Amino acid sequence: MTDLSMLPPPSGEAAGGPAIAVRGLGRRFGEVIAVAGIDLDVPRGSFFGLVGPNGAGKTTTLSMMTGLLRPDAGTAVVLGHDVWADPVAAKRLLGILPDGLRIFDRLTGLQLVTYAGLLRGLTREVAAERAAELIRALGLEEARDKLVVDYSAGMSKKVTLASALVHGPRVLVLDEPFEAVDPVSATTIRRILADFISVGGTVILSSHVMDLVERTCSHVAVLARGEVLATGTVDEVRAGQSLEERFVDLVGGATEVEGLEWLRTSSD
Amino acid sequence: MVAHLVRLKLTLLRNIFRRSRAQAIGAILGVVYFGAVVIMLGVGVAALRTELPDARLYVPLGGALLVLAWGLLPLLTFGTDPTLDPARFATFAVPYRQLAVGLVLAGLFGLPALACAVVIAGTLVTWSVSVLATVVAVAAAAAGLLTCVTLSRWVSARASSAMSSRRGRDLTAILGLLVVVALGPGLALAGSTVERFATIMPTIGTIAGWTPFGWIWAAPADIAVGQVGTGLLRLVLGLAFLGALGVLWQGALRRQVEDPTVVGSPDAGRAHRGLGLLARFPDTQTGAVAAQIATYWQRDPRYQIGLLMAPLVPLLLLVPAIMGGQEWSFLLMGPLIAFLLGWSEHNSVAYESTAFWMHVAAGTPGRVDRAARIVPSLVLAAVLIPLYCIVGAWLAHRLDLLAAMVGLCLALAGVGYGISSVISVVMPYPVPKPGENPLTTPPGGQGARLLSQTISSLGTALLASPVIVLALLTWWGREWALWPTAVGGILLGAGVLVLGVRVGGRIYDRRAPELLSALVRD
Repeated sequence: MTDLSMLPPPSGEAAGGPAIAVRGLGRRFGEVIAVAGIDLDVPRGSFFGLVGPNGAGKTTTLSMMTGLLRPDAGTAVVLGHDVWADPVAAKRLLGILPDGLRIFDRLTGLQLVTYAGLLRGLTREVAAERAAELIRALGLEEARDKLVVDYSAGMSKKVTLASALVHGPRVLVLDEPFEAVDPVSATTIRRILADFISVGGTVILSSHVMDLVERTCSHVAVLARGEVLATGTVDEVRAGQSLEERFVDLVGGATEVEGLEWLRTSSD
Repeated sequence: MVAHLVRLKLTLLRNIFRRSRAQAIGAILGVVYFGAVVIMLGVGVAALRTELPDARLYVPLGGALLVLAWGLLPLLTFGTDPTLDPARFATFAVPYRQLAVGLVLAGLFGLPALACAVVIAGTLVTWSVSVLATVVAVAAAAAGLLTCVTLSRWVSARASSAMSSRRGRDLTAILGLLVVVALGPGLALAGSTVERFATIMPTIGTIAGWTPFGWIWAAPADIAVGQVGTGLLRLVLGLAFLGALGVLWQGALRRQVEDPTVVGSPDAGRAHRGLGLLARFPDTQTGAVAAQIATYWQRDPRYQIGLLMAPLVPLLLLVPAIMGGQEWSFLLMGPLIAFLLGWSEHNSVAYESTAFWMHVAAGTPGRVDRAARIVPSLVLAAVLIPLYCIVGAWLAHRLDLLAAMVGLCLALAGVGYGISSVISVVMPYPVPKPGENPLTTPPGGQGARLLSQTISSLGTALLASPVIVLALLTWWGREWALWPTAVGGILLGAGVLVLGVRVGGRIYDRRAPELLSALVRD
């Protein structure tokens, strides 16, 4: 039997450290505190779901993690690189799909994805090749030469996802990736994300569809009123209940519908 | 139902004053100012009472132009009044006839209709020379105003189905722009031929009175001067025209309510094969950003307008040069275009709106973004500045000044680009969003707009002033100043441009997320 105490203590950064580590991250807009100094660890290789009611601060949190919105307090570290102190290195590792922001929609789908690759410093040859491949994988082949402004909402989501993937990021941050996406495309996207994780990538996504998070994610955090109410593996957080029941328990608020009796009349 | 619609419109009208305090004050000042103008116009019309024969020519002409304006307005402004778009009522079960009448009556309670009502009320005074004339004038005024509103409703209903496609909207915006551009030189031309104008006015007035747009306005005039038969005929014709418009409007409304899918139907879209300009620019980050902006110049009406306007603006200088015989003003063509090209980049980031996040997310270096952003405009400048310098100098018979003019132009353009490279990161102000009417001014940010425009134009003039002074000396006959102007202009322009890109780039590296936040807020 080897005496483990004889070995030197581990040095350097643990390879298993979190993909994203958030410490005391906070942001206020005027009088409103959108995110109240939260801590969050997104483990490497996890499929992390960030859930919360409308206005919980999900988008604000994700924006601060990815360098789009400067926090008032706290840090966000991506694979050891502080997003706000060392943005160039951190941003290289990130692929982002924001919600509610425009894209360069007067470009064609192929042009947009290629442009995203060129912005990330890929050569034109590589960028164009990967863009074509992504567009094919996401089922946008027929629309690749059309302007993105003429795309449907779901197609725009998909082309933005392709733009987030084109430079081969290590961590994907996706804000509401399944909104307005049809079930077939959603399955395709889930498969692409699962592949991405199986080769060592990490995905964090926000959603308010509990069912989807319960089925696809390995880890989950519940965010409400700018605070983290629970975080851990999906099984830990739901504690024997369904995630939806647990979510309603945690977030609180009335679910009983009062009034509206007139809506129930079946007489006509 | 009609009462509901009118009440809805009145509520919307009241809400103009219920936004922020600054906007409310702006709106009140606007109403007071335009109210005064409108009342003066009304009084002016009433004063024509003493000149009945003249009034009989000008009132129908003015009235016909008014109706025409109401018909064109929805085309220029995308149907300014989307609050009462029939398609919005598609989900409510309102009978067509009631909806048609209600929307027209509700349209009477908009500010433009109220303003017209005041001016038209002036005609009641003009024609009140006999009982019959007064009665007909009242009927004609009411019918005339209804004609205006009904025509505008019909046009906007027809146009909105055409404009539900992006291509239709873009096309309309460009057409609107051409009308606006043509207006200036058109008016200048009209002013220059004012003498001939006076002689042909009576003919124009008479013709206008016999067009469908003029019938209703000419009817009381005929009766006031004693031609009762003609007057009644034109009254009947005018009322019939209004009736016909009513039927057309109801039909268009019916189609829109029955088939609301025409609103927002996706555009099939022409295919643009391959990478386009992205494949033509150098294979660098700077090249990519420049190619993206150049592609937008091709496809986005907000840029197309600038692209169409810029080469035309110096032509305005032809007016004083030809009309007043001021040959020297030809010399300003080059400097004017140089100044405009550099200066107009001072808010370039705002046009990207929140799509700018892609640059922030990619961590695009500031100097790359700054340099690439001015490339398409530089290409334009490389064509237009020499062209207008040579043409201007040649027209003014001062080809000897060419070297000095090139120096001055490069100074103005270079300094302009340099300052714009800094200002566009430091103080962006709201512009029409992608897909919006390029001719509208978005609410809010007037202070920022004014500040940014003033700083960038005064700053350009100030920094370029040494070269401007040298250029003036050359023009005043100090020949020694010719080459110093040329060389100084090149050095100053290039120097400030490079410095501006550097400084702007450094600020960009620090403030890109704040810039994005500002664009999100707008």
